[in-house]
Amino acid sequence: MSDFVIETWELTKQYNGKAGCKNITLQVPRGSVFGFLGQNGAGKSTFVRTMLGLLHPTDGKAVMLGQPIGSVESRKKVGYLPELFRYPDWLTGQQLLEHHAELCGLTHRESKAVIKNVVELVGMAGRERERIRGYSKGMQQRIGIACALLSDPELIFLDEPTSALDPIGRKEVRELIARLRDQGKTIFLNSHLLSEMESVCNHVGIIHRSELVVHGEWRKLSSVQPQIELTVDKDSGSLQNVLPSFVTASQLVRQEDNRDSWLMTLDQDNRVPALLQQLIASGVAIHEVVRKQQSLEDVFLYWVQRKEGERHVADHQNHV
Amino acid sequence: MWPIIKITYREMISKRIFTITLIMSLAFLLLFGLATGYAVKEMKEMLGGASAERLLEKQFLSTQMLGMGLYFGSVITALLAILSSVGSIASEIESHQIDTWLARALPRYKYVLGKFFGLASMLGLYALLMFTGLLGINQWVGEGMLAVQVDASQILKAAAFFVSMPIILVCVAMLLSSMTTTVTGGIILIILYGISFVGGFIEQLGAVFSNSSLTNIGIISSLLFPADSLFRQATLSLFDSADDPLSFASQGIFGTTSPPSTAMLFYTVFYGIVALGLSIRVFQKRDV
Repeated sequence: MSDFVIETWELTKQYNGKAGCKNITLQVPRGSVFGFLGQNGAGKSTFVRTMLGLLHPTDGKAVMLGQPIGSVESRKKVGYLPELFRYPDWLTGQQLLEHHAELCGLTHRESKAVIKNVVELVGMAGRERERIRGYSKGMQQRIGIACALLSDPELIFLDEPTSALDPIGRKEVRELIARLRDQGKTIFLNSHLLSEMESVCNHVGIIHRSELVVHGEWRKLSSVQPQIELTVDKDSGSLQNVLPSFVTASQLVRQEDNRDSWLMTLDQDNRVPALLQQLIASGVAIHEVVRKQQSLEDVFLYWVQRKEGERHVADHQNHV
Repeated sequence: MWPIIKITYREMISKRIFTITLIMSLAFLLLFGLATGYAVKEMKEMLGGASAERLLEKQFLSTQMLGMGLYFGSVITALLAILSSVGSIASEIESHQIDTWLARALPRYKYVLGKFFGLASMLGLYALLMFTGLLGINQWVGEGMLAVQVDASQILKAAAFFVSMPIILVCVAMLLSSMTTTVTGGIILIILYGISFVGGFIEQLGAVFSNSSLTNIGIISSLLFPADSLFRQATLSLFDSADDPLSFASQGIFGTTSPPSTAMLFYTVFYGIVALGLSIRVFQKRDV
């Protein structure tokens, strides 16, 4: 059994040569919660829909659960909550789940037990006999998640799963994702709500303008730009004049009483002792040093801005 | 495939169009029964006797009455077939309802065939009920005056052709639904159906007036969309008058003077199969 549930090689889906997703090469480890991050229209949903065979790739190849995408076998143990979740509103929640259970090949007895379980799991117990047309958006999203979990999938695609939920609902979904992860399932989470992703994802991929910028363990990615917050005396002279060259950026973030707090960005993670030595040698009075834990938003912005920078340079060179 | 057939049944029953059509169909049958009843009463008073001349008049009126009923019955069935099936795939793509179905381990051809069998069986049943209702009214309310004389084999043959018509429409609707939007598909199919029926009348007139241009126009329209040939074959089977030199006189505009050839009937079946096959092929290649 492969360590990866998803592997793609230069996977491309373009619409008349535009937008979509382009040359996506990534691996999603088994049992991970993989956050696929990107702005609206970056190509996240296109990638998921291509993986599920709803869209035909224009180039490249991909396998899902060891099977080539587009094949029926690749979708046997997959659950999916679409971004634009729309279900036949003339069905009740229970009937919708029954139809999906039939498509998953569950027997009547199996489906009864499974439906009861998933309905409780998504907090819809007692409302499943009502028609979907009477459901709020949040309830529809919950029943959609129940649908995605019906077949006891190994891989679950959740495309913006909390877009219609209130804060309590969002928290419940995050807890549900964590529980599914603990059961060994792989979750592919599409979202642009970075703060939501941060608490549940252990792997991320960042897509920008249809192209994958980076992917990997997000805690490792977060160390690409080591930062510390340094609190020094206000009369420490001109701090910036004594900064060594490996400090790539510095920014005054706070001024309290007689102390200034500076955010320093280093070129490498192991430069902190050298920086402190140099500052002390230069007579800077240091009161506090705090290693800055970067948020997913910081990581995302760093990589997107870096990609934009490369893009501008490439455009400029082409122009010249 | 069975879950798709089942959900297609459930959808048709749940949607208002089917309920309204059923109610309106009952109203139509009631009206047809009342008209037949009054016509029988009038004819009893007017004709009374059983001379050869009056028998001809009775035969003309009886086939006219039933032919008219079958014609409007077939139009209602066709419209129901068009309206309920032309959006069967397209509207689900437009609303993205199809996404979660196709994300399952379900081959696309099974989705199309499931939709087809669900719709075709429901519409076939509807057409059969409509045919049985009209013929039943003709036989029971029409008594000896307006009841067309038919035997069991004629009824079976005519019913088979009558039921086939909405099935062919569903085949073509599936093709349009898998390649275009609901509105576009609906417009195309209604126009094709209109061409077929107008062409059918033109062909009959061409046969009556021995005008080959009119007949050819009818044949071309039948080739374009052969639904009318099934209706003509149904009335022909029921009234069994293809070899009768007085057939048009006895059947009027709703009858058949120029019967569809066997080749045309095979063409119709072939047309339906090709349309369904193409719908599967198109849908398999389509992004949803």
